Amino acid sequence: MKSRRTLRSRRRPRRSVFAPALLLALWTLLGGCSRTDRARSVVVWEQMDPKEQELFDEHIAQFRERHPEFAMFSIERVHYRVEDLQTQFQTAALAFGGPSLVYGPSDKIGPYSIMGLLMPIDELLPTTELARFQPETLPTLEGEVWGLPDQVGNHLTLVANLALVDSIPTDTDTWLRQLRETTIDRDGDGKPEQYGLVFNLLEPFWLVPWLGGFGGVVMDDQSRPTLNTPAMAQALVFLSDLKKSRVVPLECDYPLADTIFKEGRAAYIINGPWSWQGYRDAGLDIRLAPLPMVSSTGQWPAPLISAKCYSINRYLDPGTRECTAALLAWLTGPEVQLDLARKLGVQPGDLTAAAAPELLVDPLMMASREQIARGRLMPIVPEMRAVWDAMRPFYQSVMNGELEPAAAAAAMQAQADETIEVMHE
Amino acid sequence: MTNRRGLALWFLLPSLLVLAGVVVYPFVFNLWISLTNWNMFHFQHPQFQGLEHYAKIARMIIEPFGRPLAEWPAALAANEFYRIFGKTFAWTAINLVFHFTLGLGAALLLNRKLPARGLYRALLILPWAMPQYISALTWRGMFNVEYGVINQLLSQIGVAPVPWFSSELWAFLAPTITNIWLGFPFVMVIALGGLQSIPQELYEAARIDGAGPVRRFFKITLPMLKPVLLPALVLGTIWTFNNLNVIWLVTDQGLPADKTHILVTYVYKAAFFYYRYGYAAAFSVFIFLVLALIVRGYDRAAKQEVY
Repeated sequence: MKSRRTLRSRRRPRRSVFAPALLLALWTLLGGCSRTDRARSVVVWEQMDPKEQELFDEHIAQFRERHPEFAMFSIERVHYRVEDLQTQFQTAALAFGGPSLVYGPSDKIGPYSIMGLLMPIDELLPTTELARFQPETLPTLEGEVWGLPDQVGNHLTLVANLALVDSIPTDTDTWLRQLRETTIDRDGDGKPEQYGLVFNLLEPFWLVPWLGGFGGVVMDDQSRPTLNTPAMAQALVFLSDLKKSRVVPLECDYPLADTIFKEGRAAYIINGPWSWQGYRDAGLDIRLAPLPMVSSTGQWPAPLISAKCYSINRYLDPGTRECTAALLAWLTGPEVQLDLARKLGVQPGDLTAAAAPELLVDPLMMASREQIARGRLMPIVPEMRAVWDAMRPFYQSVMNGELEPAAAAAAMQAQADETIEVMHE
Repeated sequence: MTNRRGLALWFLLPSLLVLAGVVVYPFVFNLWISLTNWNMFHFQHPQFQGLEHYAKIARMIIEPFGRPLAEWPAALAANEFYRIFGKTFAWTAINLVFHFTLGLGAALLLNRKLPARGLYRALLILPWAMPQYISALTWRGMFNVEYGVINQLLSQIGVAPVPWFSSELWAFLAPTITNIWLGFPFVMVIALGGLQSIPQELYEAARIDGAGPVRRFFKITLPMLKPVLLPALVLGTIWTFNNLNVIWLVTDQGLPADKTHILVTYVYKAAFFYYRYGYAAAFSVFIFLVLALIVRGYDRAAKQEVY
């Protein structure tokens, strides 16, 4: 008996130490997941290109120098791929977390704001800040502004490699002749070594400018899809004829188009502002020009124009409000925008920066502005997602020769209508 | 005894808490979402709506059977659910067959005395060790019709270029080939471990009894590997059935024309492209039930004694 009691008395203290130790370990573990760090950390989730990321880091360093009062805050940039950013932000918001600011094209802002994930800009910054921008470039939905741009455009433009062409036609008939001349199959194996044109043949973002060139639009003023139109069928015919004439590579996706152009094996690429500096860095002598007027209609292709914006997370930690506001104002301020324009060739959204004399006479910026003037604003309503997803498969089917353009246009419309309906269920 | 059980529970508690956090809670949460109208317009305040999403899925499943019998084949072929469901099963079955035949074959080879066996083993494990994301994107580039290395190799032997992403069949085969390459090393590693634990005396006895290599394989090797291969088969089925990355990345979100979706990519699109969280959650539960049935089948097979 005695020995049993001794054993028990030995066991008790061990258990009483073990339980609190375990609880302490769990508390420490869970404590690491608490929100205390968020009060000292401003986080920006972005989907920037490498060059933009580099410049962002430089701008953050400048912000730190000018705002020593926020020295106690860490400023962190987290990069995501386009679709990953959307997925991650939605998921984080479910847990009332996520970044302080989220950066990307304005078309994502519609769904975010409807889901209640964003804070209207005027809840953090004075409304006078909004007056710095061209009103049409501010992503506005239901009377509220949901983001501030650091650049506008994000538009497709024709980029010519001047080593392969010395003049850029302004109408499609002349341009197509030139594309055929500059597509060269030296060894006659049916696979050209040099192409007239490269662009992402798989994504409807590259189809939309031509839709405009045939007089069509993707949505009407009431945000209803307008895809089943003769203009859409004609635009599809135009692009599938381009592919059939072999002036563009087969199955040409974005990386392939970009690589071929950088290697100097294509006379033209259709691409956006994010890419231009990369072509210069690759040693190419490039010139921008608006996409050529469609000869049969006399209309100019109309790429979609959008802004790249910083938006504020609805669940921004109150402790970081001041620092976040100052950072947002800095990142979308004239100084940063002018720097982006100089180094990337993007158009500033800030009116003061846009009016800088050096930008007004820069040939690249002039050509870019010319293209913007012919573009259309990208609708920021969430239904645009349904429109993109409806266009994509049927556009690809036409390009693969599996579907007639008119049937594809009808199928796109039906698909978009159906998807919008289920999105609203 | 009670004290010892109590102490054991304390030791189990951290694991139980982690399991509750990462398995039980998400599962219950998913079930709850599936019973709500959670979507873009009801993101902040979703409302309970019962089994509405499940009813919608059920309607999709029974829709072809509401037609005359003669129309069933055409209706099944046209039905989006059956197209995706069929593709998911084909994807899973083809992958598993190749994972197990190649994996087992490689394991049998590596189990022999070979020069530089360690090097072969390292090379064969390499696909498994590489991040899936990188492998998938690399394979996508290799499948390009004009510039991809695969078509260039085929052209060397006089085969016409394969339009990998322009045809539904080839676009399905492209991620399948990628996933076979990615997945067979797992089976190889598992089988190799199992092979090394089979007593050599069994083979010696079989040889004495006059059993040839094929007979030895089917009567000794395969039955002795069953305890290790069955769990690998269960895991392989679940992983392949739910493999989003390879299909999504190799076919660039469903090339051509959204024709390469399997159930899990369909659900992903519903949730994160169309913001239909409730519907996607209900579909996830459906996928879970399908997998639970398959695993139950394996479980029964596993209970059959080897000897």
